[in-house]
Amino acid sequence: MPAWLDTHGISLLNGLAIGSLLFILAVGLSLIFGMMDVLNLAHGVLFLTGAYVAWWIAGEAPSWPGFLGALAIAGAIGALAGTGLALVIERLARRSHLDQALLTLGLALIAGDALSAVFGNDVHTINPPAGLDGSVLVFGKAYPVYRLALIGLGAGLAAVVHLVVERTPLGALVRATVADRHMVLSAGVDDRKVKLVVFAVGSLLATTAGVLGAPVYGARPGLDGTVLILALVVVVIGGLGSVRGALVGALVIGEIESLGRALLSNLASFVLFGALAVVLVVRPRGLFGAATGARS
Amino acid sequence: MSNARITRRRLLSAMGVAGALAAMAGCRSHGDQAGGKRIKVGLVVPQSGVYATVGTDMQHGWELWLERHGGRLGKFEVTTVIADEGETPQTGVPAVQKLVQNDQVDVIVGIAASPVALGAQSIVAEAKKLLIVGNAGAGALTGGKNPYVWRTSFTNAQIAAAMGKHLAGHPDAGPVYVIAPDYKAGEEVIRGFKATFEAGGGKMAGEAKPAFAKTQDYQPFLTGIQASGARATFCFFAGAEAVAFVKQYAQFGLATQIPLYGTGFLTEASVMTAQGDAAIGIQTDLHYSTELDTPANKEFVAAWRAKFNAAPSVYSVQTWDAANVLGRALATATALDGDSLAKAMGAIGTIDDSPRGPWSFENQSPKQKFYLRKVEKRDTGYVNAVLADLGEFSPLP
Amino acid sequence: MNRLAPWGRLVPLAMIVVLAAAPLALGTYATTVLTRILVFALLAASLDLLAGITGLASLGHGAYFGAGAYAAGWVAVHATPSGPVTLAAAVAVSALVAGVAGSVAVRARGVFFLMLTLALGEIVEQLAQSWHGVTGGSDGLYGIPAPHLAGAVLADVRWLSWYVLAVFIAGMAVIRGIVASPFGAALRGIRDNEARMRALGYRTYLYKLAVFVIAGALAGLAGGLLAAQQRLVTPADLGFATSAPVLLAVIIGGEATPWGPCLGAAVVVVLRDVLGPSLGGHGSLVLGLVFVAMVFLVPGGLARLRRGVGT
Repeated sequence: MPAWLDTHGISLLNGLAIGSLLFILAVGLSLIFGMMDVLNLAHGVLFLTGAYVAWWIAGEAPSWPGFLGALAIAGAIGALAGTGLALVIERLARRSHLDQALLTLGLALIAGDALSAVFGNDVHTINPPAGLDGSVLVFGKAYPVYRLALIGLGAGLAAVVHLVVERTPLGALVRATVADRHMVLSAGVDDRKVKLVVFAVGSLLATTAGVLGAPVYGARPGLDGTVLILALVVVVIGGLGSVRGALVGALVIGEIESLGRALLSNLASFVLFGALAVVLVVRPRGLFGAATGARS
Repeated sequence: MSNARITRRRLLSAMGVAGALAAMAGCRSHGDQAGGKRIKVGLVVPQSGVYATVGTDMQHGWELWLERHGGRLGKFEVTTVIADEGETPQTGVPAVQKLVQNDQVDVIVGIAASPVALGAQSIVAEAKKLLIVGNAGAGALTGGKNPYVWRTSFTNAQIAAAMGKHLAGHPDAGPVYVIAPDYKAGEEVIRGFKATFEAGGGKMAGEAKPAFAKTQDYQPFLTGIQASGARATFCFFAGAEAVAFVKQYAQFGLATQIPLYGTGFLTEASVMTAQGDAAIGIQTDLHYSTELDTPANKEFVAAWRAKFNAAPSVYSVQTWDAANVLGRALATATALDGDSLAKAMGAIGTIDDSPRGPWSFENQSPKQKFYLRKVEKRDTGYVNAVLADLGEFSPLP
Repeated sequence: MNRLAPWGRLVPLAMIVVLAAAPLALGTYATTVLTRILVFALLAASLDLLAGITGLASLGHGAYFGAGAYAAGWVAVHATPSGPVTLAAAVAVSALVAGVAGSVAVRARGVFFLMLTLALGEIVEQLAQSWHGVTGGSDGLYGIPAPHLAGAVLADVRWLSWYVLAVFIAGMAVIRGIVASPFGAALRGIRDNEARMRALGYRTYLYKLAVFVIAGALAGLAGGLLAAQQRLVTPADLGFATSAPVLLAVIIGGEATPWGPCLGAAVVVVLRDVLGPSLGGHGSLVLGLVFVAMVFLVPGGLARLRRGVGT
């Protein structure tokens, strides 16, 4: 057992770290999907915007004020963008969900091109802020401290979101809308304001995830597509609209990508989508998907 | 849905398509003008997607040569038509087709990605036009099977063979672990490396192939390298993957324990800036470095810096040489069709004024010198200092 | 049902005549583009059978297109370049792959079906990348010879265009036939209310699997045409880079309409292949603007895949 842990312990830990990062980037998408049944395909480009903001404001070797400033600015941009997106999508409220997804895809393509025009096509990286940029010995091998910090951040974020969703009136409204939107409407609640808030919060989470993920993923053209696919896989595996599902799904994917790749090195290229297919075959609604008929 | 809406949408779409087709039908080009020599060159480079920075250097390399030679290749006045290669053959092959069939260019230059180059082969063979490949490294492009396809870049196996021979000659480099992405170029690199390395008595510690373009986190592979007992790592990564791998190599503590070697793309151009200090000390091999101490290269680098306010890269040199080589061919060619130009290309001897040093064609690809480089930090930024000349290598398939 | 005005019956016939006459009037490049449009139109129409008629929006339809293309290309390179043989191989292989994938996929519904087909498509694409002995890996299958038909080599652009047009018409005839048949009516019933169809005694799983295989086989037929036209098959022809534009073509053109997907395919091909190279790298910007414009400017909305996705 200790020998096994020696070799694979660090992959196990890394799976938690990557899983935490995936949770941070997927939770916003899960909320928006759960609330509005809209596949927000602009989620990836919001993440990328946050990453570029981190590079531009905090620079390649950020200080704490720089990093926190980047977080704040990215958050503000995210909230604004989310509000704008919600307002635009509201105009299509009576159209099919695929129309709304098409709109978000169109906006994502435009925004992606704009980011390339502004920031260029080079690959940019940033280091973690001072103090978190070293490595510590874990299981006898060096491991970046920032990734350990991500585990803490992910857990903290999960706790905060859980508290808001389970314990606050807004959270109750969110849960009710996820469970049965029409019932909420017929109870006389104006769900437009709730949608606006959730979209703004979900987008804010996306851009801040971009800042937090920048020391690991960097910022470059094409990252938005990569991140979007990862977020979609996490959300679908975990079950749509379920924050707990997003957390579990993210950790599962994180472990599969780390431990799975270490153990099944020949099949490394098939690991991600193979896992998605297996989960969807075994549990077609995702791990924590709603069993009620409100969504298929 | 009512019939009226269907009809309106159909009509709009049909009109749009008809309009586009009519516009294309009306496009006829003029070929070479009699009297007053002109040549129309189609430049295919990636202008979007992950290879966009490579494409920018390729485009600038071509344009800089023309600018410094009055917009001429020899006696011919050059019109350049640029087409966006994009990221995949789905965009690249139609781009080549458009240049050949619609814009009626005489020569195609460029192409960064191997699948696009391989797909372009049949187009230029049927149209009998010359293609000068500016970057693609696929082994299958050599061998002279297609007389119209010439190349000024490299083959994947060629670069790897040079490093394989070098590491085999240093037995205290210890067992070497090889890692390259899981696609054709990666396999050719691994094969080329093993051929010279094991032939020279080198021992392999293991090999790994991360998913191409899908891997952002290399921790599982880095752990594998540590567990294999390797005393050196040889890798092949480019672009974003090179940045991620080198940074994580340092973060996981391998940089101080297991020296990293790679093909030159690991630390070429803007990739070094993104890698920062993590790149210092990495040794790579390539057929070019900005630090080559020859008059031709010094002049080239100075001209590049003056115009673009940045350092050139191997991608710049490859299309600069393509312009050079095309100019030499035009001096002796009887006509602009593929057969005449291919014959003229075959008659070019050694290209002795290239920034990369003297080189010549063998099987329509460059036989050239490779240099061992090491990343150092200078006042101007990070550079690939030249440590040694590894010798000339033929373009292996 | 297809309630076209009486003069509307003549429109398809007129279009066929125009398409057949076009290669005589258009130059080489325009004819090449027309041929590409026909290939993608057949692919889009096959997806419409699945997405528009049956309500199963798939993000992995490119996998069967690519499987057919690889099969046709491989046969042309290693066995015989005979057109009909390569197309038969394309249909057989793609039907097989669709059968295996479909048996797993059609158990899911809505957005989960969408993601599952995406996953299966990506797995098939990765297979093509890794199985380089057969598929040529990331370099693709290149050097595919021009198809031979009844002894003649169809290297000329115009003859190739007529060959593709003939197969396209045959494929469309099959699709229209299915749509008009009782089987097609059952599919529409499944799209509109699957629970009810089951209550009426239909074994909906078998119907969905059948249409999945048929749509996959037709996509493979289009793939065989791609191999003949492009002379190159790469993993990009199997994966998301193909599957997404095809679904978008169906949405843009209008699903469950006779010619909608074909027009959508024409728009996508013209945008990407004709205009794309000249846009200086801003192709995705133009595409995004087109999507946003289509969503807002087309009156009545793009209400297409009604019960295929979401609630």
